Amino acid sequence: MRDATAKARPAPRLITLTINGEVREVMVRPRIMLLEVIRDHVGLTGTKDGCESGTCGACTVLLNGKPVLSCITLAVECDGKTVETVESLSEGGKLGDLQEAFLDQGATQCGFCTPGILMSAKALLKNNPKPSLPEIKKALEGNLCRCTGYNAIVDAILQVSDQGVAPLMK
Amino acid sequence: MILFDFEHESSPSAEAAVARLNEVSEETRFLAGGTDLIPNMRIGITKPERLISLTSIPYAPPTLDAKGWLEIDALTKLSEIEHSKLVGDAAPMLAASAHSVAGNQIRQVATLGGNLCQETRCLYLNQKHDFQFVEPCFKRGGDCCYPFPKNKKNVCWSVYMSDIAPVLMALNAEVSVLGAGGEVRLPIAALFTGDGLRPHTLNPGELIRRIHIPPAPSHFGWGYHKSTVRGGLEFATALMAVALEVKAGGLVCSDARIAIGAVNEGPVRLDKTEAAMRGLELNPANLRMLADQASQEVNPLPHHGFSKPYLRDNIRVHLKRTLSLAVERAGKGLKENRS
Repeated sequence: MRDATAKARPAPRLITLTINGEVREVMVRPRIMLLEVIRDHVGLTGTKDGCESGTCGACTVLLNGKPVLSCITLAVECDGKTVETVESLSEGGKLGDLQEAFLDQGATQCGFCTPGILMSAKALLKNNPKPSLPEIKKALEGNLCRCTGYNAIVDAILQVSDQGVAPLMK
Repeated sequence: MILFDFEHESSPSAEAAVARLNEVSEETRFLAGGTDLIPNMRIGITKPERLISLTSIPYAPPTLDAKGWLEIDALTKLSEIEHSKLVGDAAPMLAASAHSVAGNQIRQVATLGGNLCQETRCLYLNQKHDFQFVEPCFKRGGDCCYPFPKNKKNVCWSVYMSDIAPVLMALNAEVSVLGAGGEVRLPIAALFTGDGLRPHTLNPGELIRRIHIPPAPSHFGWGYHKSTVRGGLEFATALMAVALEVKAGGLVCSDARIAIGAVNEGPVRLDKTEAAMRGLELNPANLRMLADQASQEVNPLPHHGFSKPYLRDNIRVHLKRTLSLAVERAGKGLKENRS
């Protein structure tokens, strides 16, 4: 027998997230994704909403330091966790080294996939400051880019990790 | 956003999760990594009213038991399996298969148990049914298989895409399943029904708890190949896992297991080809003959635009190479080589 409360709408729940060092409290229902909290509730629209099915990697953020797809991560599962988005890479309006390297190599065209790729690259470089070419390709396999052909992106990561790739644009 | 509401709760232990699922009356699913379940909920393949989250359950790292069996908790993340030294040494084929699953972001959260419990896939089924593909197929409770309209009633040709299940079958692994009555240990093959509509034998309220992999014998060789179009972030076109033993001092096969994945409703063992291998010298001519035989023994479902003859050819070519690699490894007597 189904009890009378089973069909009632689940109540919103208060969750606490530390997003880019700032503690945020948001009320969410279980069906809300982390991506919606970041973009719609908190207003950090750098993280992009691409395929919504965990396929393109545009929504990649770091959850407790690990790259995850925020479009298939329930917000209620992230209660008490630390989130880093692409906005964390720049400080006081000045781009970070990784972002500068992307600019130097022309590693962005339409730019929609770039926030996700930057966060995947950040996770890679944190654990592996001098990644090899296959390691870079493996780390970025979950990020699709339809413009650049990837070579410039790989070059940007080689440049920022100081592996003999010179800036193109300077 | 998921377009329907559901309840969500976390469970402190696997036993509590199973007890809770057996206690509630509404349709309830366990949530581990969610990389299969959440997209399926988004496109409406499954519409549970409640999720019981397993993500806060603590789990131990992989260990070797007293008999040398490798024991891995089902909640272990694929990225942890991929990078575990113990798994790399004791079961390098499992590490290689975990490394080949999807993309990095997915491997960070996807679990071993979840990978085995993933839903079967089909181009028609895995569409949001709100615009072009509005009619439900058998799997969604409809009355026709739209990709294969000549299929008999309730025959579903969706394909089971786990990259890890064929490897565990080739390694003769066992699985502990926790249910309301306690834990039972089964051979991995007992998990799969071979029916696209209901691919797993697990009942609601049962949970894969851990995986057990026997120690590799001496003169053991393995080969693993995942055929893909892009080489990353992809489900397999066809997948083959080979585990074989040769007699000391030669290349005569004493035992072999071949499992093929991603071409049927469940992973399949090639019994006839395995039987033909035993006692045979594994020279290049014989390997070619075995790969030919295997490609005829397997009966692939056409899936994701790949025809049956193409899949047979793919298996013939890549299985020959995978067998060669396994023989080479067995010949060296190495247990710890990684691809």
